[in-house]
Amino acid sequence: MSFVIAQSLDEALAAVAGGARPIAGGTDLVVGARHGKAPLPEALVAIDRLPELRSITETADGISIGALVTHHDIESHPLLTTVYAGLADGSALVGSPATRHMGTIGGNIMNASPAMDTGAPLAVMLAEVELRSVRGSRRVPIEQLWTSPGCTTAEPDELCVAVHIPVPGPRAGSAYVRLEYRRAMEIAVVGAAAFVALADDGTIAALRVGLTAVAPTVFTGDLLGQAGRSVADAAKATAELSMELAKPISDVRASDRYRRHTVGVMARRAVEAAARRAAGEVIAIPVNRAIGIGAAS
Amino acid sequence: MTMTNPSAPPRFLRADGPDKVTGSGRYTADLTLTGALAAKFKYADVTHARITKLDVSAAKAMPGVFAVLTQADVPDVKFGPFVQDRTLFANDVVRYEGEVIAAVAAVDAATAQRAVDAIVVEYDPLPVVNDIEAALSPDSPLVHSGWADYGSSMIRDRNDASFASIAKGDVDAGMAAADHVVRSRYVADGCHAAPIEPRAVVAQWEGNKVTIWTSTQVPFDARAGVCETLEIPNNRVRIIVPHLGGGFGGKCGFHYEAHVAALARAAKRPVRLVFSRREEFLAPDRRREGIVYDFETGVKADGTIVARRAWLALDNGAYTADAGFFSQLAAMHALGPYRIPNALVEAHLVYTNHQPSGSVRAPTAPQTCWALESHTDEVARAVGLDPVAFRKLNAVDTGVEGASGQIYGEIGIQQCIDAAAAGAGYGQELPDDEAIGVAIGWWPSFSVPSGAYVKIDGDGSGQIITGAQECGTGAVMTLRQLVADELGMDAENFELVYQDTSVAPYDMGATGSQTLFNNGRAVVAAAGQIADQLRNLAAEHLEASPADIVLADGVASVTGSPDRGVPIAELAGIAAGGELLIGHGSGTPPGAPEIVGSVCVGDLGMAAWVAPQFSCHAVRVKLDRDTGVARILHVSAAHDSGTIINPIGATGQVEGAVLMGIGQALTEGTTYDADGRQRNAALLEYKLQTCADAPPIDVHFIQINTPDAGPRGAKGLAEAPNVATAAAISNAIAQIVGTPIRQLPMTAERVWEALISQETAS
Repeated sequence: MSFVIAQSLDEALAAVAGGARPIAGGTDLVVGARHGKAPLPEALVAIDRLPELRSITETADGISIGALVTHHDIESHPLLTTVYAGLADGSALVGSPATRHMGTIGGNIMNASPAMDTGAPLAVMLAEVELRSVRGSRRVPIEQLWTSPGCTTAEPDELCVAVHIPVPGPRAGSAYVRLEYRRAMEIAVVGAAAFVALADDGTIAALRVGLTAVAPTVFTGDLLGQAGRSVADAAKATAELSMELAKPISDVRASDRYRRHTVGVMARRAVEAAARRAAGEVIAIPVNRAIGIGAAS
Repeated sequence: MTMTNPSAPPRFLRADGPDKVTGSGRYTADLTLTGALAAKFKYADVTHARITKLDVSAAKAMPGVFAVLTQADVPDVKFGPFVQDRTLFANDVVRYEGEVIAAVAAVDAATAQRAVDAIVVEYDPLPVVNDIEAALSPDSPLVHSGWADYGSSMIRDRNDASFASIAKGDVDAGMAAADHVVRSRYVADGCHAAPIEPRAVVAQWEGNKVTIWTSTQVPFDARAGVCETLEIPNNRVRIIVPHLGGGFGGKCGFHYEAHVAALARAAKRPVRLVFSRREEFLAPDRRREGIVYDFETGVKADGTIVARRAWLALDNGAYTADAGFFSQLAAMHALGPYRIPNALVEAHLVYTNHQPSGSVRAPTAPQTCWALESHTDEVARAVGLDPVAFRKLNAVDTGVEGASGQIYGEIGIQQCIDAAAAGAGYGQELPDDEAIGVAIGWWPSFSVPSGAYVKIDGDGSGQIITGAQECGTGAVMTLRQLVADELGMDAENFELVYQDTSVAPYDMGATGSQTLFNNGRAVVAAAGQIADQLRNLAAEHLEASPADIVLADGVASVTGSPDRGVPIAELAGIAAGGELLIGHGSGTPPGAPEIVGSVCVGDLGMAAWVAPQFSCHAVRVKLDRDTGVARILHVSAAHDSGTIINPIGATGQVEGAVLMGIGQALTEGTTYDADGRQRNAALLEYKLQTCADAPPIDVHFIQINTPDAGPRGAKGLAEAPNVATAAAISNAIAQIVGTPIRQLPMTAERVWEALISQETAS
C-alpha cells in the first residue's frame, strides 16, 4: 500500500493519474473500510494540505466552493447560510460535529451516495462540479455526475476541485429537509430539496425539487409547469409528483411504502420553506430544526 | 422525610474522573504485554445446524499462528448459572449466528483473521426456531434436543427453558365480578446494552496461575466461569478489570475470559482479544429479551382493579445465560406495583435460535412496564378515569399487600406519582400534537454478601480495598464518601483499590443495582473498626473515655471540649508504630421479605423484593403527525430509592437511564431476517439516542425512611430509572394517536401505520 501527501495540486493530479485514490477528511473512505464496506485502496494520495482547494469565493456568476471546504465551513459561512441556504441545511445535518469538521463537500459529492445530504440542494441550485486532471479541466452539471450508488461520470484520473453554484436571482430561496429518527449521527431515511423563485405577485416563477434516498442517485425534477400557481398548490403538487416519481427500496431503515409517503411530506415542506426564504424570511439553519421535522423543541 | 430536588448538591469529585476525562486512564484494550498475540474467533454464521466437518489444520499450519482451539481442546464442561446448556465452543450443533466454533491466537490481528478464514466448517442445516410463540407449540423443532439431560433448578419443558407463575386469590371470580374487562396484546422487540467500549480480554500465564484483564461488570463471576470451564481452583485465577467503558448489564456474566486464557496457555504467550462493534452486537449472551404479552384486567366501575390475567413468552435465545429467572422477574412486572386481589400470571422463557438473552439494565422491566402501563391506560380509559387518578387509586402504598403477598414497609410510590405529575405540569392545556404520558415502575434491591477492607497508613492517607466493580454508575466512587463520613475525614484522603479478585473480598459485581446497597454496608463496617481503633488511640492520648471521642473534620476530639483534640493523621502516625489501622467488613445483608397468599412457581424473582425501589415518569411528547416521528420535549422523573447519598451521581444516573429509555421507546430494537440473523448489528442501523436528542430532565428524589435499606437508608438506583420511561412515552403517544402503539420500539413508521389505521377507522 502506498500513501502520498500531495504538496501541490499538480502532485495530487499526478498521483490520481497514477491510480491513487484521493483522501481528504476520510469520513467515507476510512469509516467504510473499518465497517468492512470496502478495503482501503492500494494507493492513497492525501489532498488535505492544498490550500487552493479550501476557499469559498464569491464571483460575478455565483459562488465557488473548493473541494476541501468542510461541512462546518458551509454551515457557518455568511453567504452559504443565506443566499444558498439549502446547501447549508444539508451540511448542518451531516453526522456529528466531528464529521462536519473533517468531512468535505468534494468528498460528499464524489462519494455519490443516494442518501447524501448535500446532493439534492446542489442539484436544485444547478451547481456544476469542476473536475481536473493532468489532461485539463471541465465542468459537469452536478445531476449529470451521479450514475448509480458510489459511481460518477468522472474519469478515473479526474479530481473534483470545486463546485460552482450560480446566483439564484431575485426573490429566490432554497431549502433541504430530511426525515431523521434522531438528531445526530443520522443518515437520511428520505430527504428533499427545493429551489423556489417567486413572481412579484407571490406565485411560483421557478420550482425545482431534488429527492434524497428514494432512487439509486439523487433525483431531480424541474417543475416548470407549476409557474403561476400559488405556493400551497405547488407544494401539494410537488409532494404528489415526488411520491409518484420516487423509486424507494425497503430496508432496515424503512419500508418502501413509508419512504414513498414521507418523501412527499419532505418535498412539500422543502417547497414551503424555500418559498418562505424566497419571500425574504430568515429561517435558521438547518431548516429541519426550525420547522420541526420530527417535531420541534 | 421527603426531599425533592436538592438545590445545592455537595461537590463530588469522582476518583476515576480525571483519568477518564483526560485520557490517561487505561482500558483493557490499551494494555500491552511483551510478546502478546492477537485472538480472533471463528463464528457459526448460521443460526441452527449440525457440524459435519471442522478442520483447523490449514489454520494451524499458517506462519505466525500460535494456537487454534476448539471444544476438543478444553474440558468437556457444560455451564450456565441456571441451566447448564452450553460449552465454551460449539459442540456438534450451533444454535445462533454468534456462537464461537474455534479461537485463534496469532502474531497479529490480520494473521489471526486469515487463520480464522482458513478454518473449514461444513454443516447440515437444522430447522430454525425464529418465533417465540411458535417455539412453544408441541410440534416445534427443538433448539436443544437433549434439554432433559441438562443440569438445572428451573421448571422446564422442551423449548420452555424456565416457567414461572404467580397465582393469587380467584382470578375467575375476580373477572366475573368486574364491570369492565380489558384485553390487550403487546410485543416488545429485543434490544442491546451497547456500551461504548466493545469488550476486551487479555490473559497471561505465569506457571500454573493466570492473570486475566477483562472488561467485565462481574469479576468474581468471570473468575468462577474460568475456574469451572477450565477446571482450575479459584486461587490460581486472578481477574483484574482496568477502567470499564460502560456495561449497562451487557458485561455481566462470564464471557470470553476462559477462551483467551486457554489460548494463552496453548500459545505460551499473553493473548489479547478486542471485539469489533459488530462482534459486540452478535456474539455475547447479553441482549434485552423480546417479549410477547397478553393482558386481561378486570376493573370495577369505580376504577378498582379486581383481577389480572397475564401470559408472557420471553425470547431466551439459544442458551439460558443469566436469563434463567427472567420469567419470574417479568411475572412480577406484569403485575406491577398495584393492589390486585386476584391474579394469575404465566411466564415462559423460550429457546429460539437468536443470540442468547441476559441481564441488560433492569432485565424484563422496561419492556414489561411499557406493555403493562400501556394496558393500564387502556383500562383507565374504559372506566373514564384520568391515568394519574387511576394509578393513585390502584398503586400500592405503605402497609399495603402487593401482588406477591409482600406487605410493604414505608414506601414512596404515591409521592412519586404526585412529584412526577407536578414536575411535568400534568393537566395543563397542550397543543393537539402534544401530550403528557405517565407510568409507574418498580425494581428490587438484591440483598447479597459483599466485602471490603479499609486501611489508613502512617501519613493519614487511606485506601479502600473493595471487591465492588465500578461500571460508570459512580457507586464505587461513592464508597469514599461513606468511609470518610464514618471516620470524620475528607473523601479525597482515600484511594480506591478495586476490580481485582486476588486483592479484595467477594462482591457480586456491578449487577442488580447492588453495589452501594451491599458493599456500602461492608465499607461502613470496615471503617467502623478503624473508627473504634482511632477512638481508643485518641482516648489514651487525650486522657478521656473512648465513648466521648468524636471524629470530625480530620480531628479526634472530646465531646463538649472541641479544644481537646488530636489530628487523625497524628493518630495514624502513632498507630504505624504499633497496632496498624486495618478494618474489614461485610455487613449483614437483610433477609428476604415474607411472601404470603400466593402460589408461585419460581420465587427467586420475588425474594429479591427486599427494600423495593419505586418510580414514576411523566413525559411530554410532541408528535409529527405527517411522519410519525415523536420528539421528547420534557421528562419528569420521580424516584423512591431511599436516601440519596451522592445527589450529583444519583441525578446523572437518572438522566442517563431516561435517555436509554427514550432509545428503547423510539429507536432501539433488533430486527431479524427469516433465519434469525440480526439485520441491524451496527450503530448506524441500531439507533441509540444522542446528546442532541436529550430533552430537559427534571429529577425528583422522594427520600423516606426505608426498612431493610442499605447504608443510611439508601436503596439501589442503577436500574430503576430505566424502567418507566418507555411506558410513559407510549401513553403520551397513545393520547395523540388515539390508540396505543402495540410494538416496541415505537418507531416512526409503526406510529405512522397506527395513525393511518386510525384515520381509516374514523
